[in-house]
Amino acid sequence: MGSNGGGFDFDLCKRNALLERKGMAPPKAWKTGTTIAGVVYKDGVVLGADTRSTSGSTVADKNCEKIHYIAPNIYCCGAGTAADTMNVTAMISSSLDLHRYATGRQSRVVTAMTMLKYQGHVSAALVLGGVDLNGPHLFTIFPHGSTDALPYATMGSGSLNAMAVFEAGFKEDMTKEEAMALVAAAIRSGVYNDLGSGSNVDLCIISKEGVEYLRNHEFLMAKTYTRKFPVTYAKGTAPVIKEKLIPLSAVDVTEGAEEAMDTS
Amino acid sequence: MLVDESTVQKITILSPNIGMVYSGMGPDYRVLVRKARKTAQQYFRLYQEHIPVAQLVREVAAVMQEFTQSGGVRPFGVSLLLAGFDDNGPQLYQIDPSGSYFAWKASAIGKNMNNAKTFLEKRYSDEVGLGGLGGSIVVEAAGCGGGSSVGIEDAIHTALLTLKEGFEGQVSGNNIEVGIIGPDRKFKVLSAAEVQDYLQEVE
Amino acid sequence: MSIYTYNGAAIIAMAGKDCVAIGSDLRFGVQLQTMTTDYKKVFQIHDRLFVGLGGLATDAQTLFERLVFRHNMYKLREERDMKASTFGNLLSSMLYEKRFGPYFASPVVAGLEPDGKPFLCGMDSIGALETAADFIVTGTNSESLFGMCESMWRPDLEADELFETLAQCLLSGIDRDALAGWGAVVYVIDKNKGVIARTLKGRMD
Repeated sequence: MGSNGGGFDFDLCKRNALLERKGMAPPKAWKTGTTIAGVVYKDGVVLGADTRSTSGSTVADKNCEKIHYIAPNIYCCGAGTAADTMNVTAMISSSLDLHRYATGRQSRVVTAMTMLKYQGHVSAALVLGGVDLNGPHLFTIFPHGSTDALPYATMGSGSLNAMAVFEAGFKEDMTKEEAMALVAAAIRSGVYNDLGSGSNVDLCIISKEGVEYLRNHEFLMAKTYTRKFPVTYAKGTAPVIKEKLIPLSAVDVTEGAEEAMDTS
Repeated sequence: MLVDESTVQKITILSPNIGMVYSGMGPDYRVLVRKARKTAQQYFRLYQEHIPVAQLVREVAAVMQEFTQSGGVRPFGVSLLLAGFDDNGPQLYQIDPSGSYFAWKASAIGKNMNNAKTFLEKRYSDEVGLGGLGGSIVVEAAGCGGGSSVGIEDAIHTALLTLKEGFEGQVSGNNIEVGIIGPDRKFKVLSAAEVQDYLQEVE
Repeated sequence: MSIYTYNGAAIIAMAGKDCVAIGSDLRFGVQLQTMTTDYKKVFQIHDRLFVGLGGLATDAQTLFERLVFRHNMYKLREERDMKASTFGNLLSSMLYEKRFGPYFASPVVAGLEPDGKPFLCGMDSIGALETAADFIVTGTNSESLFGMCESMWRPDLEADELFETLAQCLLSGIDRDALAGWGAVVYVIDKNKGVIARTLKGRMD
């Protein structure tokens, strides 16, 4: 039962199915909702994402990270079940790491794409972007395993909003600044018009020269007010019935005098 | 003599902050490299944190021990030097085929290890710096580590001088390798040109 | 009915200046029947680390026992306590391992990192990790806990203020939750002083 060797554990499947049959609904997993997008520009790829994560209609995280590291030259935006997007990208990142150690070569974007097809077992919709020896690449990967190679792509619940912006504004061979502005506009369109997306805009620019990860490139949703007189509760407001100090249990180990190395 | 020196590589990176070199049988070494890299990766997947040097050493040593006791297999024909930098500072470990391991300030393995160790004992001081790892394409390997913040340069010089001591023929950037790890926690294998520059410094 | 509302829970963790606090209600019930009123949902892992486990109590207990086991093994192997962030990632990995047959537990991790900075994270039942600089809540009525925290939390609260703020958020949040309440417990982890545990009086209905 359980190890750190990887792989899934199906121990509880039967019990959970039984509970479900008895009318106990399983808990909702966190979704990323999400507007994610990417474009290919003159020298590389720009990826973008919003930063809202939801549990039903409650916002679970106002500023989460949806652009995941895959390799030094490859990043990936994830939409769908939050745990799946995080783990799927981390697993592929790990495999590619080993592959790079074994081959001594830079990872290719197609390799990452092939590894990320999970054929419906995990619900992750991905926009994968990177630059390798064959130039810039942008892929979308659907939860059921189909893939597309595209010059501009969107995914998530806000994909239609973002795609509208791309269809209106995309040009080939854009400059980095043009591409950044276009992707940011596409994500903003999701943030403002799609309820599953919200908060801020993250961007990631990948080119042959390197990677710029711009976390909260546009910080759109700061709190709209601050209390002039913040509520402070005087010490002793809460009705405490019992108070106990749990002392630190850690014993400081003082190292003995360093022994001379046995050099005989 | 006729071997293409550029294809021989003894120092390998196991994780961003840990490197390893061997003395002994190359094919056996590669098996351990593969297992060690996988172990490091599993640890990272579990904790999102790089594996501490001592933990990786223990895992590799455990594999080597298992092969001394299992049926149908033979022990690994290699000794290893493993250098890394983590929360506990720079560390240099030597692992033997039996699976026993120790941390050293400086150590040497291989054909000429006895002379090399004697040399290191004379040469080593605590000022010698932060984990350099040298290996040659013959059967020697020498490593040098220390806890002081002065001079990774000193560690490299000491490792190179130690290697030169028992080297058959002329050392050059093409027939020895040097790997270094410092407080940046990035293990790096020096290029032939860089090694050549350091060699010139010690001459 | 959701399996999450079978026992009832309310848990809040909050960050302050060089301190963190975590608290839970004390009710343990089976659906609408209250069984006991001294059931803490927050557990201590080591001097500077706590984990709160909401959701189905049986799964929370099993998960906690496995966490203690894993932490003990880690301590023996590595001769150190686990960092709060490391613990969060371990828990996330353990939950995702059961991606297709999950524990019905929603954890909150609160602790101090080795440098004394607060670390907070929460996750769903399959280990989607969320770290926060302000607060993390979970429970049968997390919406009202969220609401309280959103309006009461301020940056850089000192240990005493942090306690009072968290206590108010927890007690008021619980008042609108039929499945949680009957008093509360709050732990404040202070960088210098250690842990202060306080039991609070709450409505008993």
